[in-house]
Amino acid sequence: MTGPRLKLALEYDSASRGRHVRDIVQELKRLHWVRGALLVATDGFVIAADLPENVAVDSLAALAATLGRELQTSAARLGRPSFSTALFSADDGTMFLAASRIGYLVVLADQQVNVQAIRGALTDAVALIEAAWGPGQATS
Amino acid sequence: MRLWKSPEPDAPETVAEALRRAEHHRREERYAEASALVARALELDPDNLHAHLLAAYVHIARRAPALAKTEFRWVLGHDATHPRALVGLARIALDEGDARLCRDLLRRALRSYPDFPEATALLEALRGRDAPPAPPPAAPAAPRVDRLRLPGTGRALVVGRADGGLIAAQPPADEAKDVAEELARTLRLAASALRRAGLGALHRAIVDDGRDAVFTRTDGELVVSLALPRATDPTQGLLDVNRLWSATQHELGVAGTPPANAAPATPVSTPAADSTRRVS
Repeated sequence: MTGPRLKLALEYDSASRGRHVRDIVQELKRLHWVRGALLVATDGFVIAADLPENVAVDSLAALAATLGRELQTSAARLGRPSFSTALFSADDGTMFLAASRIGYLVVLADQQVNVQAIRGALTDAVALIEAAWGPGQATS
Repeated sequence: MRLWKSPEPDAPETVAEALRRAEHHRREERYAEASALVARALELDPDNLHAHLLAAYVHIARRAPALAKTEFRWVLGHDATHPRALVGLARIALDEGDARLCRDLLRRALRSYPDFPEATALLEALRGRDAPPAPPPAAPAAPRVDRLRLPGTGRALVVGRADGGLIAAQPPADEAKDVAEELARTLRLAASALRRAGLGALHRAIVDDGRDAVFTRTDGELVVSLALPRATDPTQGLLDVNRLWSATQHELGVAGTPPANAAPATPVSTPAADSTRRVS
């Protein structure tokens, strides 16, 4: 990702954090073959979204948050590490999901998307969120 | 030594102000501050419904479902059809694996608010959970999935049905049945999310958990899932799971595919036939 640069946590105030996550979502949206991106809290609350008009944001956010929590609780039940990224490929596109400290990043992309590129971008995006929130702030 | 604590200099004086600021902190994911402000709101007005609802959300975010349930139930005790409280409890029920309770709560919410998108989406995700299990793929003869060959780097193979039933696992493991059930549950939710996103039916999944990358292929009835090292190239992993998919279909007799004797994409580790646990 080329947009938001890494900053120390102390550089962010509340307002700039909001702007920062919107920037992260918009940067993901700008990637090649990406149709839209979303950041949703674990309770389904939409933090930032840039999705195609034909996608109902609230419904997708609710399901994405449920899916993210299911992946995490499922891993816990099986005694495995929690997921970091996941992708689900369908007839007409692919949905990526990444876990961050403030919720789940979702990317909707075309079939021909470069999987490694998106996974790398999601890893970068999660790191940017980590940097903005700083250790221990999100759930303290 | 000070024995008393002076009030915070910027402590809100009204419930509305405390809740406004709590909501703001919640949106910023600053849950410690949000909790303190919700507590202040409840100190000023212990029966404030919005404050109890916000308290529940903060408890969920802090992964304290028992406390969240208490707050949601408090809200429902004062407003039996409150849709957000019903959906909140439904989400917790889903997390706890109680699909029936989850569905009941969502239906209660939709009875009062038929256009509630979150409840509609979650209910859709639950469809099929209570449906009678899909019949196992037609198998004219006993399935010979024990002949499937794991790639050399393959860590585990699970062949199951979309309803969570386990068909076979390599290597044999006690938890394979649980893995098949968890996998089916996850794939059902993913399929619902994909439909909501307008992307169509689910075919493949890759879940990376920091240790393994689990490659899965499904057609909505059969599920073949292969765990490979995390560093596996996605194309390589998909090739491997595709090969196992074709071989599984052949062994189960569900497709007119030729015997799966094509070389795997990565070097083969052929487990002994008796090392496979065939469950059904």
